[in-house]
Amino acid sequence: MSQEQSKQDVKPMKIDDILQRDVWDVDLEPHITVDSSKCEKCPTKPCLYLCPAGCYVLAGNKVVFSYEGCVECGTCRVICPMNAITWHYPKSGKGIMFRFT
Amino acid sequence: MDVKNKWDIIIVGAGPAGSAAGYTLAKKGFDVLILERGRQPGYKELFGGRVYAEPLKKIYGNELSGAPIHRWVKKEKLSFVDGNKLVSLEYQSDTSTSFTTYLPQLAKWMADKASEAGALLVEEVTVDRILYKDGKVVGVGSGPDEAYADLVIDAEGVNRLLLEGLGLVEKLKPEQVAIGAKETIKLGEDKINERFGLSKGEGMAWLLMGSITDYIPGGAFVYTNKDSVSIGLVLHLGHAIKEVKEHISQMVEKLRLHPQLRNLWIDGDIMEYGGHLTPEAGPAMMPKKLALNGLLITGDAGGLLLNVGYTIRGVDFAAYTGYLAAEAAIEAHEKGGFTESNLSVYEKKLRDSFVYKDLTRLTGMQDLYSDAKMFKALPKLAVGTASRVFEIGLETPGIWNSFTQARKEAGFGLFSLAWKGYKLMKKM
Amino acid sequence: MRIVLGIKWVPNTQAVRFDPKTGTLIREGVPSIVNPHDLDATEFALKLKDKFGGRITAITMAPPAAIMGLQHVIGMGVDDGILASDRAFAGADTLATSYVLAKVIERIGDVDLVVFGQETIDSSTAHIGAQVASWLKLPYVYYVEELVDYDESKKEIVFRRKLEDREEVYKVKLPAVISVAMHSQKPRPVRMSYKIRAKLENPIQVWTNKDMGLDPRCIGLKGSPTIVAGITWTPEVPRKKQVFKGDPKEAVKWLIEKLKEEGVLPF
Ligand SMILES: Cc1cc2nc3c(=O)[nH]c(=O)nc-3n(C[C@H](O)[C@H](O)[C@H](O)COP(=O)(O)OP(=O)(O)OC[C@H]3O[C@@H](n4cnc5c(N)ncnc54)[C@H](O)[C@@H]3O)c2cc1C
Ligand SMILES: Cc1cc2nc3c(=O)[nH]c(=O)nc-3n(C[C@H](O)[C@H](O)[C@H](O)COP(=O)(O)OP(=O)(O)OC[C@H]3O[C@@H](n4cnc5c(N)ncnc54)[C@H](O)[C@@H]3O)c2cc1C
Ligand code: SF4
Ligand code: SF4
Repeated sequence: MSQEQSKQDVKPMKIDDILQRDVWDVDLEPHITVDSSKCEKCPTKPCLYLCPAGCYVLAGNKVVFSYEGCVECGTCRVICPMNAITWHYPKSGKGIMFRFT
Repeated sequence: MDVKNKWDIIIVGAGPAGSAAGYTLAKKGFDVLILERGRQPGYKELFGGRVYAEPLKKIYGNELSGAPIHRWVKKEKLSFVDGNKLVSLEYQSDTSTSFTTYLPQLAKWMADKASEAGALLVEEVTVDRILYKDGKVVGVGSGPDEAYADLVIDAEGVNRLLLEGLGLVEKLKPEQVAIGAKETIKLGEDKINERFGLSKGEGMAWLLMGSITDYIPGGAFVYTNKDSVSIGLVLHLGHAIKEVKEHISQMVEKLRLHPQLRNLWIDGDIMEYGGHLTPEAGPAMMPKKLALNGLLITGDAGGLLLNVGYTIRGVDFAAYTGYLAAEAAIEAHEKGGFTESNLSVYEKKLRDSFVYKDLTRLTGMQDLYSDAKMFKALPKLAVGTASRVFEIGLETPGIWNSFTQARKEAGFGLFSLAWKGYKLMKKM
Repeated sequence: MRIVLGIKWVPNTQAVRFDPKTGTLIREGVPSIVNPHDLDATEFALKLKDKFGGRITAITMAPPAAIMGLQHVIGMGVDDGILASDRAFAGADTLATSYVLAKVIERIGDVDLVVFGQETIDSSTAHIGAQVASWLKLPYVYYVEELVDYDESKKEIVFRRKLEDREEVYKVKLPAVISVAMHSQKPRPVRMSYKIRAKLENPIQVWTNKDMGLDPRCIGLKGSPTIVAGITWTPEVPRKKQVFKGDPKEAVKWLIEKLKEEGVLPF
């Protein structure tokens, strides 16, 4: 058994590594945009924990959003208390391609 | 370029609901267009892992045997988890009413069935509006283009942006939905049979609740596929936004590495990970009407899903509501057109079917499951009792004593426990 | 303008994983896509058509599943497609592939401009454009970014391309072959009406070698002088996994220091 494998069997994998198993055809244009000025005033920031793809991360004390790994679930749209998110589905069949889910 | 832009019926979404409707209508000779935003039907879909077969048999008859069925579920398991301990209830049978599969595979199969029956399936098209004119729905729009139809069937799934755009429903609230996150782990057919005690073609469905979701109402699931297992969890968003303490992917990882579970899939390889919303509120999130002038609403978009904690019936409900919508459309057409009054036979058909019956009878169970106090106390009670009974030191404890001690520790009064148990049984 | 567009239906290489246990590639369920750089070529061709009218035919040499790729670009606005598909074409290297494509273009006839992508994501040889131009004895401009001018009466077209250190402007007499620089365009989305047409009318012809009658010595495995001598993998370098938490500006400074320490930055 390889080292990578045995490590995976005892240690939790980070979301970035887990996402390596997925496949997207990433659109050049983001399908979701976030008004980050609203995030500064957001008291709870639930997106940091509940976006399953970890698209929202803290950098310093700023919430940084990147759309590339999005699995298009809609959670952030529903939970954002500040209405900071403009949310669309990607066009042209772009975005996540689930195969074994 | 002059392209055809008028159809009898346009269906938005090639999920179980849309494809079942398209199949039924195309077989009857209707001119049907199915629009799907994914590059292939199923590419945008994720579920737990098990489909109840009976409703699909009603729609597809013997053809269902050609579906991508992984295993027939013959083992059911329900576990309460408290920390590293768990108490389980297992049910085994030599008959089966449900099978496991990957939803992307099943959705592809269902969409292909609709195409074979004569529906035109067009992928890579994201519909961005439903066209409404003079009191009725007349078609759909996508970017600069419009396509017209006498009837639109909305099968767009849980996020239902189009219904929101039409003003038929409000934006989803956290209390109305749950987030599910899932890993599929490749293991090999033989290993699965050995480790789960299954014969070839036999599957297992396993639900777990308690500390496995950090006591956030919802639950965890394990399903065996042909050569992989699906593991994941579902969290009610209404609770999760307040109670979640770590990233949801790390909660799935804890499930994967749980000391009592991880040996089941050790040395497996994670093939895929994903997340999806699922309706939670049942009738409370249904639009006021499911049939309007020129429009029928099916599947998750209509909130037509049953989640009773120990099982989710979404795929079969969606497919069956798509089928009923098609039947209703056929009758409305015979009566002279897709007016609201002609189409309202859809709501009647729903009421007469298991769909509404289950939804109204069982939905209260969701309240019990999402009763946060109860949700935390039950696993503690079960595990607390079992650990007292089974972990024998010097003295052999009595069962009733163990139960009483565990009950007190879990914070239950005897009376309130009995009352809740009674309510649950009545619902079931 | 009569345009032929070459596209390739490729596995989404991002989804191909290496299985460290068996030492092989995991290909199960890897979806195919139109080579992303060919969408730049498609957009470039569509812009020419928007401006000067005409017709674009997309061609590909591939197994039948590639029809989905042709439908994708027809969904963007391409007029029709030709799929060159035959068991006899299988196992082709770039030479045999470009030969078949050149013959397809000849058979279409009266072509003004042949447009390719810069390279593919699954082989990245960037051979095909040049080789097709050689077979057809046509001028070839690669890395094209922009149209500068087109004189329809003289059949002269002017392109701009960017290289690392300079910009170049080429005037070529049509017919000609070009490849479009990757990332140089913003490919337009699939349109509902075009995609409906692609599926409903399916304006795609399939040409087999029966139709084309090509010399078996020039196609497929027989026509391919290239030999894959072996494939090796670069070993995984253990990561240092240092994370700097805090202010992004400070983090950049910290990162630069670290990279200097490692000798990665020369200054
Ligand atoms: C974590 C989780 C676990 C679950 N477990 C189970 C289970 O074990 N068993 C079970 O039976 N059910 C389960 N479900 C529920 C089940 O997945 C759904 O109820 C079912 O898929 C609903 O089918 P549908 O056709 O209504 O919607 P969907 O399956 O969501 O299909 C909607 C389709 O419409 C397309 N679409 C959406 N918007 C547009 C648009 N604007 N334009 C074009 N196309 C569009 C989508 O791409 C998609 O293909 C689970 C759900 C989740 C989230
Ligand atoms: C010995 C050998 C055996 C091979 N066997 C096979 C095999 O069995 N099956 C297989 O699929 N591949 C095989 N290949 C790979 C195949 O030959 C090349 O992928 C193909 O010739 C194109 O080269 P490329 O991908 O590097 O394209 P590039 O030259 O990098 O592509 C440049 C542009 O040319 C156009 N283009 C490329 N390919 C096509 C095409 N097929 N149709 C239309 N336009 C195109 C696109 O616009 C692209 O952007 C083999 C290669 C070798 C060396
Ligand atoms: S929940 Fe909304 S406002 Fe709050 S941090 Fe996240 S995106 Fe910003
Ligand atoms: S839609 Fe889902 S995956 Fe995408 S950014 Fe929002 S929460 Fe994350």
